[in-house]
Amino acid sequence: MLCSEFEDRLTDYLDGALASEAQRAFAEHALRCPVCHELLSEVKNTIVECRADVPPAPSVGLEARIMLKTAPETAMSCEEFEEHLTDYLDGFLPATLFHRWERHAALCERCTELPGQVVRSIGACYSYISEERPVPAGLHARILQATLGTTEAERVRAPFAARLAEWMRGWLDAVVAPQFATVATMVLIAVLVGTSTLSDDGSIGGMYRASLRLAAQTYQHGASTATKAAQSDDLKRVAESLENLVGQPTPQAATTAVGTDQKPAESNEQTKPAEGGQPPQEGEQKDR
Amino acid sequence: MSVGEGSELVRRCRAGDGAAWEEIVSTFSRRIYNLAYRFTSRADAAEDLTQEVFVRVYRSLEQYDPKQGDLQNWLMRLARNLIIDDYRRRQRAPQDSHAEDLEGHTYHLRAAGGSPQRELERRELGAQVQAGIDKLPPDLRTCVILRDIEELSYQEIVDLLKIPEGTVKSRINRGRIELAKILRRMRVVAMSDV
Repeated sequence: MLCSEFEDRLTDYLDGALASEAQRAFAEHALRCPVCHELLSEVKNTIVECRADVPPAPSVGLEARIMLKTAPETAMSCEEFEEHLTDYLDGFLPATLFHRWERHAALCERCTELPGQVVRSIGACYSYISEERPVPAGLHARILQATLGTTEAERVRAPFAARLAEWMRGWLDAVVAPQFATVATMVLIAVLVGTSTLSDDGSIGGMYRASLRLAAQTYQHGASTATKAAQSDDLKRVAESLENLVGQPTPQAATTAVGTDQKPAESNEQTKPAEGGQPPQEGEQKDR
Repeated sequence: MSVGEGSELVRRCRAGDGAAWEEIVSTFSRRIYNLAYRFTSRADAAEDLTQEVFVRVYRSLEQYDPKQGDLQNWLMRLARNLIIDDYRRRQRAPQDSHAEDLEGHTYHLRAAGGSPQRELERRELGAQVQAGIDKLPPDLRTCVILRDIEELSYQEIVDLLKIPEGTVKSRINRGRIELAKILRRMRVVAMSDV
């Protein structure tokens, strides 16, 4: 292959457009002739450089400026921009609003700094979280005095009976709750059975008979659940009386024997400080 | 503190065990005191409020049900309710001149230096964030504290303040923007990115 021929075919070679025979001849010439070899590498390098030379990206505001010129109605006001700021930061802004929002951020001088400032301000709040102030000296003592009536909490000991009563109460809550569920289920079944069997034989007499039978059944259910409920009430009374035996027997405790959720705070205040040997010091608590 | 530990402590308190109550006080007082401080921004007021919260918690211990969540959640929910109620009450009858004290204060961050310096800056940043929050209108302030400092979810704030979700969202948004502008004026935010 002549050097002039090599030059003619160079572009076809680089494009891979030569037939295999011509391709082989071209490659052989490139290996044999140092001048043509040099030429080939130079052309290759130039092509690489040309491809690498991309124009700089347009500024952020270009698209925004084009949109403002062509479709000014899609521009966003500063008020709207601020309104959507948190949604933008949280990533909740729908696509259409998102682009309008970003265009405003790029163009509006007044708003362009705001998102960064808000992010830094939230950051400042988060760093403030870790800056917990220590509890002032004496606050614990004040709280203990206002609640237990003494600053020496260790001295306020739970009497055995109170602990037992509290334990039993916790235990009973677990036992009693499912029983009420059973009662509710039985009542529901009774109603369902009632509604589906009342008009079984079609006559009014039959209806009366059926209702009498159902009434008897319901009464039986009721009696058995009442017995259970009574049993659990008895247990609660035992717990309360145990508490009263050692603690101060108060009419309050007796009235709350069944409804343990009623006025619990008062019974607490009456029994606890008594154990510590001091009356409740409600007056100590500062009125604000 | 696990759910079991919390309910065990409450059980002991109900039985009249003073040490158990003391443990609850010392476990949660710091958090409650800080929450109170963020709303009152005064140490004495925050102390009084913390004490009031614990008195109410003590009286309400009977109502705590471990099935409804752990002790910390229950206790903090109660504390937030009381502190926000107190804050709203004070907003209706404002009497403190504390805001004026802060106005006269000049804010700027010193250049970064040694570690005592850094510590000072850190504390200053906290004081400035608190001062910025103090300048927010009450409605925005409550929402910003709950969202960005207490880190509650939108839904938790809706439940706590009993206002619609849209209102909560727009108050958080407005509050964040106002706070950012206040901090910028105080040159806290602008300096922190140097």
